[in-house]
Amino acid sequence: MSETASPTLLPEGLRDVLPSDAAAEAALVEMLASSFNANGYDRVSPPLVEFESTLLAGMGAATADRIFRMVDPVSQRTLGLRADVTAQIARLASTRLHKAPRPLRLMYAGQVLRVKGHQLRPDRQFTQVGFELIGPDTVAADAEAIIVAAQAVAGIGIKDITVDLALPPLVPALLETAGLNGDEIELLYAALNHKDASEIRKLGGGQSELLCALVEASGPLNVARESLAKVDLPAAAAKHLKTLLAVADTVKAETPELALTIDLVENRGLQYHTGVTFFLFAKGSTREIGRGGRYTVSHGDDVSEPATGATLFMDAVLAVAPKVSVRPCVYTPYGTARDAIRNIQDDGFRVRASLSKDADMLAEARILGCSKMLKDGEVVDVPNER
Amino acid sequence: MALDQLIIALPKGRILEEARPLLDAVGIHPESAFDDDGSRQLQFATNLEHVSIIRVRSFDVATFVAFGAAQIGIAGNDVLMEFDYPEIYAPLDLGIGGCRLCLAQSKELGETFDVSRLSHVRVATKYPETTSRYFEAQGIQAECVKLNGAMELAPKLGLTPRIVDLVSSGRTLKENGLVEVATISDVSSRLVVNRTALKVRSEEIGDWIEKFRRAVDAQAA
Repeated sequence: MSETASPTLLPEGLRDVLPSDAAAEAALVEMLASSFNANGYDRVSPPLVEFESTLLAGMGAATADRIFRMVDPVSQRTLGLRADVTAQIARLASTRLHKAPRPLRLMYAGQVLRVKGHQLRPDRQFTQVGFELIGPDTVAADAEAIIVAAQAVAGIGIKDITVDLALPPLVPALLETAGLNGDEIELLYAALNHKDASEIRKLGGGQSELLCALVEASGPLNVARESLAKVDLPAAAAKHLKTLLAVADTVKAETPELALTIDLVENRGLQYHTGVTFFLFAKGSTREIGRGGRYTVSHGDDVSEPATGATLFMDAVLAVAPKVSVRPCVYTPYGTARDAIRNIQDDGFRVRASLSKDADMLAEARILGCSKMLKDGEVVDVPNER
Repeated sequence: MALDQLIIALPKGRILEEARPLLDAVGIHPESAFDDDGSRQLQFATNLEHVSIIRVRSFDVATFVAFGAAQIGIAGNDVLMEFDYPEIYAPLDLGIGGCRLCLAQSKELGETFDVSRLSHVRVATKYPETTSRYFEAQGIQAECVKLNGAMELAPKLGLTPRIVDLVSSGRTLKENGLVEVATISDVSSRLVVNRTALKVRSEEIGDWIEKFRRAVDAQAA
């Protein structure tokens, strides 16, 4: 690499977060975390880096093409940097916390790193705030995950939240009997992800009519419910759908302000999901702000445990969250007593202390972005410049 | 309650002409400047206060819709395949803009495309992603030379011996001494919508899809 590269240039997808933005993110993360916490979720903090073999064990395998790898000079083993936190929480649930009483409710807030950004998320490093509910496989647990996630988002002032419900195991179950080979199935999934009805009809084999009906039945809960009633699903699929509708009804009853939509052919990036899953959208956002759903925690030896959860993507959340106001800052003269400074801080202000004896207090307060200053022992407004 | 802005992205050129009756059929009547090819205007008002139309290049329709800058658009599946934007839904085949994406080569290379001895091809195309994927699937590495138009010149002037391009009648190919040797995909125009818009404005966008669906069915009948 050239050594004359600009000192401001960062690798693609990575960036410096500067004052006010960094404070806003930290404040929002804390608000979301305390909302999860208030619902009984205990905070845990797994490490950024693990052995590749443990990071990718079980459901972590879904992140295999997303993680950065390096060799540990100490153990000479390959390490992986987490690209997602859920699999780490699953590991905790199956190891150190496998004897902890169920339902096990855990939450986390931390940074993840991915080898590649994508179109709508060029960031390779961002913060995830989420929670996992491990143990019960019930409608009540599925509904709790959705409600807890949506309420936290609403709690930071994001309005017009839509929850899109999906059932990732449904389509694979239908395709088992469609008589398609691997390549054909891949093309069909691409068509399903784009809701491209004409391609689905072409590629869907014996199930094309059914799949098209499911695509058309996607939409607002009430409309979808009606259309789905007319679709004749195999017994196993119908059972999944019944659960999904029961979850939707519970969520609707408890949080009527949420808009609910159903999308039964959605299967993007949900490789490890085994039941009801969901995406959170907010008006004004160009992409989902969070997602979650049912998965399985592997305890090894064919023993597994049901779980669900949700994670919020802070980069997307920040784009739609109302501005967090930064506390005003008071400029204090050189040598102001520490007690006096503490009193101002206790009143809810931040303090910037002058470090020079003969400063022009007014001019410096303005330059340093302080809206107030300490004058003759009183906190006064810094007058606007004429 | 005032409705949120709805932006419809339409491609310039031939597809627009074919799409024009559909707009009328769904009750969207753009201001007169829209039908004036000489107009340099980029965004057009319609009879509906909250609906406006942007007229952009066909590849850009997909980009505007993928990023949510436009909520609805019309784009060929050639463009959708090339970008493979995950945020675009293409729920409706409009049955217009029909053509095919083809591999063509100069006559000297023969009438058929024999893959058995090739490990590498040079191809001029507007669709480097689709082209690479097509050849990769056959175990051939494709070196794509990106051109934005006049692909037929490439073999003639020795830029590349083969091209991948849209073909409707095949006349331009013939006139330039080229032979069509494989069809990569049939192409038609789709109604496309932004994923987030469809979720967040589910009823409204769903209504528009229904209106277009009825208009297409009526045209077919």
